Amino acid sequence: MATKTKYQNRIELLQGTLDMLILKTLQWGEQHGYGISQAIRASSGEVLQVETGSLYPALHRLEHQGWVEAEWRKSESNQRAKYYRITKLGKEQLASDYERWGRMVATIEAIMTAK
Amino acid sequence: MRLFRFLRRKSDLTEELETHLKMAITERVARGQSPEDARKAALHEFGNVPMIADATRSQWGWLRLEQWLQDVRYALRQLRKEPAFTLTVVLTLALGIGANTAIFTLVQGILLRSLPVTDPSRLYRIGDKNDCCYYNNYQNDNGDFDLFSYDLYLHLKQTAPEFEQLAAVEAGGNGFSVRKGAEPARPMRSEYVSGNYFATLGVGAYAGRVLNENDDTAGAAPTLVLSYKTWQADFAADPAIVGSTIYVQLHPFVVAGIAPPGFFGDRIISNPPDFWMPLASEPVLEGANSALKNTDELWLYPLGRVRPATNIQALQAKLSVALQQWLTTRPTYADHGGVALIPRQHVVLAPAGGGIQRLQQQTGTGLRMMMILSTVVLLIACANVANLLLARCTARRADVAVRIALGASRFRVIREILTESVLLSLMGGAAGLAVAYAGSYMMLTLAFPSAKNMPVQALPSTAVLAFTFVVSVLTGIVFGTVPAWLASYAHPADALRGVNRSTADRSSLPQRILIVFQVALSMVLLAGALLMTKSLHHLEHQNFGIATRNRYVVSIDPKGVGYTVDRLPALYQQIEDRFAALPGMANVSLVRYIPLGGNMWGSCVIPQGHTAPGPKDPCFAAWDRASTRFFESIGVPIVRGRNFSAQDTATSQQVVLVNQAFARHFFPNQDPIGKHFGVGSIQYSGAFEIAGVFADFKMTDPRGEVRPLFFRPSSQLFPGYKEPDVDAAEKSSMYLNFIILDFVQAPPDVETLTRRTLAAIDPNLPVMHFSPYDAEVAGNFNQDRLLARLTSGFGALALILASVGLYGVMSYFVVRRTSEIGIRMALGAARSGVVAMMLRGALWQILIGLAIGIPAALLAGHFMASLLYGVKPYDPLAFFGAMAMLTICAAVAGFIPSRRAASIDPMKALRAD
Repeated sequence: MATKTKYQNRIELLQGTLDMLILKTLQWGEQHGYGISQAIRASSGEVLQVETGSLYPALHRLEHQGWVEAEWRKSESNQRAKYYRITKLGKEQLASDYERWGRMVATIEAIMTAK
Repeated sequence: MRLFRFLRRKSDLTEELETHLKMAITERVARGQSPEDARKAALHEFGNVPMIADATRSQWGWLRLEQWLQDVRYALRQLRKEPAFTLTVVLTLALGIGANTAIFTLVQGILLRSLPVTDPSRLYRIGDKNDCCYYNNYQNDNGDFDLFSYDLYLHLKQTAPEFEQLAAVEAGGNGFSVRKGAEPARPMRSEYVSGNYFATLGVGAYAGRVLNENDDTAGAAPTLVLSYKTWQADFAADPAIVGSTIYVQLHPFVVAGIAPPGFFGDRIISNPPDFWMPLASEPVLEGANSALKNTDELWLYPLGRVRPATNIQALQAKLSVALQQWLTTRPTYADHGGVALIPRQHVVLAPAGGGIQRLQQQTGTGLRMMMILSTVVLLIACANVANLLLARCTARRADVAVRIALGASRFRVIREILTESVLLSLMGGAAGLAVAYAGSYMMLTLAFPSAKNMPVQALPSTAVLAFTFVVSVLTGIVFGTVPAWLASYAHPADALRGVNRSTADRSSLPQRILIVFQVALSMVLLAGALLMTKSLHHLEHQNFGIATRNRYVVSIDPKGVGYTVDRLPALYQQIEDRFAALPGMANVSLVRYIPLGGNMWGSCVIPQGHTAPGPKDPCFAAWDRASTRFFESIGVPIVRGRNFSAQDTATSQQVVLVNQAFARHFFPNQDPIGKHFGVGSIQYSGAFEIAGVFADFKMTDPRGEVRPLFFRPSSQLFPGYKEPDVDAAEKSSMYLNFIILDFVQAPPDVETLTRRTLAAIDPNLPVMHFSPYDAEVAGNFNQDRLLARLTSGFGALALILASVGLYGVMSYFVVRRTSEIGIRMALGAARSGVVAMMLRGALWQILIGLAIGIPAALLAGHFMASLLYGVKPYDPLAFFGAMAMLTICAAVAGFIPSRRAASIDPMKALRAD
């Protein structure tokens, strides 16, 4: 019980941001879980490493919300994998998330640069 | 199925995570790492796989289901850890749930079932009572009319186009000798039905065709439809039987077809008809004695299918008016003051989707009582199990306290314990199904020992399975709630303090209450059991007025094998002579209906010089015909006048013997000897002379008062009847269907001897039935016996459960209070003092239980009053007996643990814990 609670806290820390990053990654095309984590890592210049313990709960949460859809298909290396695709609803969500993120960054920036 | 979807998604997730791992490894290998290193590194990076799977799953919204699965697994693990506890609980519940399911199997099979016909909800019967089988007067004081003549049926049919179809069926049924080809004759049951019977019910033929209107016209070739079971059992499922001829009472009948499997007729009875014959064939078999041709003879139940959306109340009123119209036109009903009774005559339309409700009305009270009793047994079982669970939960309190301290919610703890209870009761229910099957099989065999093709089965139906499931779940919730609630109040701090070291503990109150509850319910069951047993004893061992020891009853059917009336005297003479010559034989007699055999015939008696009685005057007397030595053969003394003798011949004065009730009723304060009376019509009132009076004995109803009854000798046929049907009935009364064999001492192979003797007289005359007279009499009490045995069984079960419960609780208290008792004894308490202290606690519970149980039992006795014979509902013996039994059992159950308490070694007790 106790350990599980701890895990959930960590997800909450990343929530929002991670969802947005996943949705953004999927905008370039459908991808499986491993691919998503590699893509985020690569596009962040190896800075951001998404933990699997956060990634999969996030993916399933997004699926549950209807922002992504999933389908089992063969990968390029002929491996059966679950591919995620962003939905129309997901795209709207991404837009609003990004907008909120922008405002938040601006707000924080304003606080940090205030004299 | 939610559960299957859940399980598939779960395996999907595992695969998804594995794929991720594999991809990570493949990539690392591609980058040049060794497969082993790659695997290690990937796993390290990935993290704890099951935990991630857990966290992911929690996003699905399936959490509740999964927790539930966890609960089930946890509960199973707990139960496996304590097999003795689990077994005890499952067995207790199996008995409780099994008893309920067994009773419900019968309730469902008899009371709740619809006939297997098309749209049974539109079937209605005209009439709601069960008067049977032939009448020609008003049936009920309140004017409720339920038996109809053929003419009256046709009149109602014409009046009521609201019926799509209106059929008529015979109220009673017949046993006939049926013969196919050269095979010996077989006894079979039959029922006369109107030609539209099968059309009304919407039942087609399995093979051949069903009866139709053409079969039911006067002069049509006689046809019949066989039941599927009879076709299978008695005609070896031979398809060639359709269209062939079989002989019923020597009359040829063509088998038109076979009814579908599962169709058993228009009512649930233990001996459904083997075949159905059209009403038109009744005169063929009965000749001039036909009821069909008699306009006033009431012997049919009309059964019809109403058109959709028919107003039943309006139809009922309309039919009642039609009935009254018809009655005014019939002298039998209107004359002699009968016309005054016509306005109150009416019919009641009864839903007949479940068939004609005879068995239902006969067994309904008993079945309902059994349902209540079995529920009480289940409640006691629940109390027992709840007690065990309570004890167990208290023992597990530390465990629960730790879990609550670690953050488990109270609700979750309650749910876990409830899951465990429901799981237990489901297991109990599953085991209970076996108990139920055995139970209902036994009940059916005991209640209907002579049943053939009975349409009620012991095997549980879907409805029964559903019932058991629901009862199991409810049971689990009932006995699990209190323990669950209490356990959830475990204080985390208690766990650290060591809860087991207390004297007063909270959970002991509910346990005590449960014991009180059990004692009270057991009191009700035990008192009921004693009442029923005593009532059965009174019923069976009452003075019937006849002697049955060493007597045997042989049933024969001379009419069915072709004996004509003129050949009967010779046959009877031969039977009497041959059997009298057997060793050890005291008396041989022949009789038309045996006392307490269930069948009877009666007529309206008119003493000479009296005016004709009105339709409501109590002129009815049962009458029977017997050979000379009949009264000796059943040990009935002649109290006045003389017995039948060889001097009573066909040509001498027609004589009768009457019972004392007859003499009192028709000749109050007079000497009946030498008086004359007749039956049916005033013109015959000089027909019979009373030659003697025999002592009263019970002829039909073993519960009721002795009614007027007279006997006529087998030698005298009254030749004076002018109406052909009355004359035919008189002739048919010459057929005596029973031989009574009264032995000084019965030979060991009495049945073979009987069959051999009879075969020597006429090889064509089969023995239809052979049984000791005692068994014949006992057959009157099958249902009473079953009720008494079941109640006793339930009572014993209750007593055992309550004793075990008390024992368990007491033992538990002893363990809990070990250290307290140790201290008491260290401080100087005597052993006897400890025993007394423990027993005092138990005694209080018993006393309070009795205080509640006795009034409850009185109330129950009041409701049972209609089932009791010769016993008052507040019979003191039953009540004191129940109290004594309970107190003794409870005292023993309480004493054993108390003694154990007294044998505690103070030093050990203080050191422990």
